[in-house]
Amino acid sequence: MKVEYVSPFANAAIAVSESLLKTVPERGDLAVRPKLFTSQQVSIVCGVTGSIEGHVIYGMSMATADKIASIMIGQSVVTFDQIAASALAELANLISRNAVSRLAEQGFKCEITPPTILRGSNVQVSLLEIPALVIPLNSEAFGMIEIGMSLQDRQLAA
Amino acid sequence: MAKRILITDDALFMRVTLKNILVQNGYEIVGEACNGAEAIQMYKSLKPDLVTMDITMPELDGLSALKEIRSIDPAANVVMCTAMGQSKMVAEALGSGAKDFIIKPFQAETVVEAIGKALAA
Repeated sequence: MKVEYVSPFANAAIAVSESLLKTVPERGDLAVRPKLFTSQQVSIVCGVTGSIEGHVIYGMSMATADKIASIMIGQSVVTFDQIAASALAELANLISRNAVSRLAEQGFKCEITPPTILRGSNVQVSLLEIPALVIPLNSEAFGMIEIGMSLQDRQLAA
Repeated sequence: MAKRILITDDALFMRVTLKNILVQNGYEIVGEACNGAEAIQMYKSLKPDLVTMDITMPELDGLSALKEIRSIDPAANVVMCTAMGQSKMVAEALGSGAKDFIIKPFQAETVVEAIGKALAA
């Protein structure tokens, strides 16, 4: 897992947050985990395929998920329904697509798979036995989103 | 009479958002399709004034649906909805007769302007 894959995702998340959620979150400290897992209450998983492959998880608390969905929908989310789930899936989709276009500028051609939403904490996604890098993004408007990335070069995987 | 619009997007959130923006600006939403195949069927039965078309969708993608709709009705007004980094597909869509495109995440004003222009053209 190369550190150079981190910034495209972190910067994409900041850019999408700015235009969609009207808030610029701050990047927290990068952490390394032996495997990709999430201890967050709500996690959105996107697969990455192409010259880089692996998974990216956007994790957050239920409170943060409600706040983000409320901002996106334009009204307060009382129960986390299908529209709220679809809003968060779209957020993950937009960040991932934005990140992939940033990676393309660096010469990595990849695609993303449609997002999957997981609810419930301590979910382990152990499809690839490679370490994960995790970067938190903090905002006063919605709390914290944790971006976990487990990505590797296709050549190394073969 | 309000212009009749068919929304095509696989994401429920995007359909709801587009619908809210367009209804608030005086348009009538005649249908919501979840994929390209549904959009073609609904285009035939509803004959809308304009179609908004997402690009990446299951079953049948937006580019294929655009081409099919334009072959059914060469005067069809289709505006593509796209995420960043899909410029090749946008170019292909415009070459295939799409009137305009909107990049997600979009602002209400951008949507209204693009739809208004496409309908006026």
